Parts: sequence; structure tokens; C-alpha cells
Amino acid sequence: MLAVLVAITAWAWVAVDVDLGALARNFSNAQNTLVQLFQPDYSFFGETLQPLLETVQMAVIGTAVGCAVSLPLSFLASRATNPNGPLLGFVRTVMNVVRSIPDLLYASIFVTVVGTGALSGVLSLFLFNLGIMVKLVSEALDGVDRGGQEAALASGATWLQADRAAMLPEVAPQYVSQTIYVLELNIRASTVIGLVGAGGLGMLIDRVRTFYQYHYLSLVILEILVLVLLLELLSSAARKRLVR
Amino acid sequence: MSGHHDDDGARGAGIRFEHVNVTYPNGYQGLRDVSLTIEPGEMVAVVGLSGAGKSTLVRTINGLVPITSGEITVGDVSDGAAADGAAAGETYRLSTLRGAAQRRLRSEVGMVFQSFNLARRTTVLNNVLVGRLHHTPTWRSLLGAWRADDVELAMQALERVEIVQKAYSNASELSGGQQQRVAIARTLAQQPRVILADEPVASLDPPTSHVVMRDLQRINADLGITVVVNLHFLDLARRYGQRMIGLRAGEVVYDGPAADADESTLEEIYGRSLTAEDVLDAPPAVLE
Repeated sequence: MLAVLVAITAWAWVAVDVDLGALARNFSNAQNTLVQLFQPDYSFFGETLQPLLETVQMAVIGTAVGCAVSLPLSFLASRATNPNGPLLGFVRTVMNVVRSIPDLLYASIFVTVVGTGALSGVLSLFLFNLGIMVKLVSEALDGVDRGGQEAALASGATWLQADRAAMLPEVAPQYVSQTIYVLELNIRASTVIGLVGAGGLGMLIDRVRTFYQYHYLSLVILEILVLVLLLELLSSAARKRLVR
Repeated sequence: MSGHHDDDGARGAGIRFEHVNVTYPNGYQGLRDVSLTIEPGEMVAVVGLSGAGKSTLVRTINGLVPITSGEITVGDVSDGAAADGAAAGETYRLSTLRGAAQRRLRSEVGMVFQSFNLARRTTVLNNVLVGRLHHTPTWRSLLGAWRADDVELAMQALERVEIVQKAYSNASELSGGQQQRVAIARTLAQQPRVILADEPVASLDPPTSHVVMRDLQRINADLGITVVVNLHFLDLARRYGQRMIGLRAGEVVYDGPAADADESTLEEIYGRSLTAEDVLDAPPAVLE
């Protein structure tokens, strides 16, 4: 097992031609950049506010819509809650495709189709979230104790009623916890997809980088760092309460 | 509401097995040519070793296990013309029962399980209300907007098993015995004509077992609901059953008054001499 891992790593190393030497040779070029990066220009802060807000808005809307739509889809994608074989297979296949496309590719596609801006970002995040949420929640459903569902079906309930009354309460804490996790992912993702024009801080990063304004760039990076840290604190606190 | 009027008097349904065979997809034969009639309002204990077909027998009555051949009738099983026409309610034939008709039958047949089968992360009241799902429109059940009547019915059911003070606790906070009584309340909320109990005390300690069995006995006596209960413990079967049905390898090997079953008939059912594991061997606890 270990030998296989080592072999694969060695093959990948050679195949992509990793050259540590280049790091050392080009370091002098980087010196200037690094010096600027360590001196964030706080006067730029006013101009970052609007994109910062947009990033947060994109993440919140993408999470809210994505997680809401993912709930019924998760029930359709779990063997435990959907007795209809063909429908189950169809939903799972579609969701596998949705999940296999990276968020950056979604963003590139939407920027071409609906243009640059926050709408492209929200649409990309929506599909990105759908893929993750349906996977995580339907797998959680697979692991839930199905006794309550069996009892509901035995009392003459339909599958929809039994799933709502007996399966939803069992998976609800995990659903909420994953939603918070996805919001956290979205803040990071929304900065990255901005690089290809899908709105928010990413678009700002792209602009200042193009003009070599590294002391502006360092402020933006600092802001992202603070935002992600804050969100992580919030989400870990919220999830700790959920688990109890 | 339900399509027909509930009669207020004794409302037990009869159950008739005619040459019923059950073969599972893996080839295992659960029941072999079982024929018997359970009268409305009877309390029947089904005994036998594990694997003898007790669970299969009980689960065929509400269609959780489909029958391979033969016929099961639930409802009016009296011979000839029914004495008073329309009073008795619907009669179901399991061999052809599917879809909406099967759900209608299930709404009239409550079931109690060995492992309680509650949704553990929601309230006791919500669990009891599961018994009302069949009579609740889909939109109401999706929103959790229960009718006031149904909540009242659920509370009454909890009162009958003396656990109403736990209505707003999470099911997971209750002891095993309390959880099983919630499960019984859930069947009562269905206002059923039959209650099936599949090893209802196998996960409980001896004193609690007696409490749960007495609940079932009282429901049978007070409400006239037909009760069919699977039991491993022979002393419980003799104490609480009016009638005992013994199964061995999927066949009925004993069918008679529970009180008449003695050591030798039980050894006949089990196909071996009795051991300490076959009896609960604890007197009912003195209640509070």
C-alpha cells in the first residue's frame, strides 16, 4: 500500500517536472513583490468594501438557494428514502455530473453565457453547493436508523410522509452542520471564481494583480484571511452547539 | 378524514389465514400452509424458536412481508352473511392488496416492534402523531401542521399508556420501556382494529416487560382491539395470551387456549426440552 503511494508520487513528480531549483533561481525576482506584499496599503480599504460585501452576498445567496434545493434532492438520491430505483439512478447520475465539474469551470462557463459579475458567481456557487450538499446529506440519510420510517410505513403513511416525519428529524442536525460548512467553503470559493470574472473580491484581485499593485493585493488577501477566520470561529461554535 | 365512520363500540377485526405460504427471495420458506382464524377482539400469543416464522406470520398481516400463495383476510371473517350488514368496516384480501388500499389496511393495523422504531431526534408527541399520517393531507404532514383533533388524539393515546408528561421530551431521552409505550401510543393514535406486536419485550428487562404486556392486555380488554403478539418467553405467552399459536419451521404445531399449554406441548413446539432462557421467570413488579 505504502509502496504504491510512493511509486505514484514519484511518477507524478517526474511527470510534471517539478524543479526546486527554479524556486531558488527566481527568488531574487520575487524579493520586490514580497516586500510590497508585507506592506499592505490601508488607504485602499474604502475601495475594497464594495467587492468584499459582494463576495459575502454571493456566498450567502449561493448557500441559501443551493442548500434549500439540495434537501429534496438528497432524499431522492438516497436508497434509504427513495424506493423508486430508476428515479434514484437518474438523480444520482445527474448529481455525479454536477459534482464532477469544478467551480472554476462553472464560473468560466457562466461568465461567457451571462457575462461578468455577481450573477455568474451566484450561479456557479449554487451548482457547486448542490453537488456537495446532495452527496453529504444523502450519505447521511443512508446511515440513519430506519426504524421510525418502517413504523410510519406500517401505519399506512406514504413514503413522502414517512421520510418527512421519521427521516428528516434524524438527519436535520447533520444538514444544518453541512450548510454552515458549505457557507465557509463558499467564502473561499467566491474569491477564487472572481478571478475569472464572476464578481466579488476575486475580480478586484485580478485587477490589482494585473497592474502589479502588490501592496493593494496584500490588503485584499489580509481581508480574506480575517473573513475566513471569523467564519471558521462562527461555524465551529455553531456546530459544537448542534452536536450537543 | 377517513373514508368511513369509526364505530364506537368493540372494533376489533378478524384475521383469517388460508393455506398461506411465504417463500423469501433467497429460497427460505417462512410459512408452510398456515390456516387459522383469529376472531375479532382475541388476544393471541405466537410462540416458537427464532426462525420458526413468528415474525413472518405477524408481518404478513399488514403486508410488510408479501405472501407467496394462499390468502389472508382482515376484517369480517364470519362465515356466511354478515349479521348486521355494513357495521363492521372494510374487509381486505392481502394476496392482491397494493398501493392505496394497502395503506388503508395498514392505517387500521397498528404495529409494535422489538426495537421500538421511534424517530429518536424528535419529540414523543411527533412520534405518536406518526399514527395519524394516513389521515393527514400531504401538505400538512410536510409542514408539520397537525390538526388540533389529531394532537388531542395523540395526547389521549399517551395518557392511556401513562406517559403524557413526556410528550415534549425527545424520544432519545426516554428509557427502553418508556419508548415501547410511546410506540404503543403511536398505534393507539391510529384508532386501529388490530395491533400486531413483534417481540415487543425482547429488548426490555423483566419488570418492564410485564408493564408493556399489561398495557397491551388492557388495550385488548378495554377497546376490543384484536392483538397478535410474538413472544419468545413462554411464561409471558401463558400469562397474557388467551390463545396460543405455536410455530415450528413455519408450520402451526399448536393452536389452543394459552392456559392449557403445559410443559410437554411447549417442548413439542420448541422441538427440544425447555431451558432457563425460554422463560422470563420474574413475577410482575408491584406498580407504583
